[in-house]
Amino acid sequence: MRHWTELDFQHWLYGLKDEDSHLAQCAECRGELERLKGQRRRVVAEPEVSQDFLAAQRRSIYGRLEAPRHHWHTWRWVLSAAMLLILAVGVTMQLRHKPAPAISDEQLFSDLSAIEQSAEPRAIQPMHSLFEQ
Amino acid sequence: MGVMADWLEADLEALADSREFGRWMAAEQKRIFLLCRRMLQDFEDADSATQDTFLKAWQALKRPESKELEDPAKWLTRIAVNTCLDRLRSRRWQFWRKRPNQEDETTILEMAPTSDPDAEDRLFAKQIVERLERALDRLTIRQRAVFTLRHYEDRSLAEIGGILDLEVGTVKAHLFRAVAKLREELHDLYFREGRK
Repeated sequence: MRHWTELDFQHWLYGLKDEDSHLAQCAECRGELERLKGQRRRVVAEPEVSQDFLAAQRRSIYGRLEAPRHHWHTWRWVLSAAMLLILAVGVTMQLRHKPAPAISDEQLFSDLSAIEQSAEPRAIQPMHSLFEQ
Repeated sequence: MGVMADWLEADLEALADSREFGRWMAAEQKRIFLLCRRMLQDFEDADSATQDTFLKAWQALKRPESKELEDPAKWLTRIAVNTCLDRLRSRRWQFWRKRPNQEDETTILEMAPTSDPDAEDRLFAKQIVERLERALDRLTIRQRAVFTLRHYEDRSLAEIGGILDLEVGTVKAHLFRAVAKLREELHDLYFREGRK
């Protein structure tokens, strides 16, 4: 005869295991089950809650019941719509903004070629004027 | 319990009356607060969630399209659990949150059962309750809700399924995983050597 294990008892306590034929026959396991039920009752017993606290909580609830309701749901939609509008205006303005005139490919290659062929960097050229008489 | 029994037969019209609602709230308040406290593990959060629960219940009862309630207590429990689940979900993003100081609660909440005359047992009960509560952080939100309703409220799996809108098999799976994760704490709770 196999007695119930600790896990069997735990599972029974939490509704995960049904009573079986062994439990019906075994006084030892039934006794242990009763002990565990008692232990659980003692530990899980409802704690006392201060009556002053509960009264204050009720007053607070009454206060909220009587207070005019904040239409947070409405405001949430209004704020979302406003944000979308700002975003849409921003995107539209960005699209309307004329980009800088695009440089042609020929011009670009010409500039690059000039830079490559130059013996000294273009940035130094203005410094020559300092030494000219 | 008498008030509760009255409410099981009450119709919506009566519940929506503010004086009757007040009576109902007073009868259910402690249970709902403790449920929120156990699910959220935070005193202030539980206070706020309890208030939200009754506020939502009141607003729902005032709606003209509200249907008749079969079991107001179960309905209220469902509101409370969903309120707590919402708070737990939003907590995931609140990485700056600290665990509340337990000492702040002692004047309001006596965690150890007061009926136990044995000082050592009281201390043990307090310690194991606190350890188990801390261990609940290891559970997922659903596992925590299922375990809380079973362990503290002793609800059947079918009832839990009704409250959380889950199949019994799913409730069982959540509970199975929760018990496995809390095995060490539950061992100490039920089987610690030397306990009477």
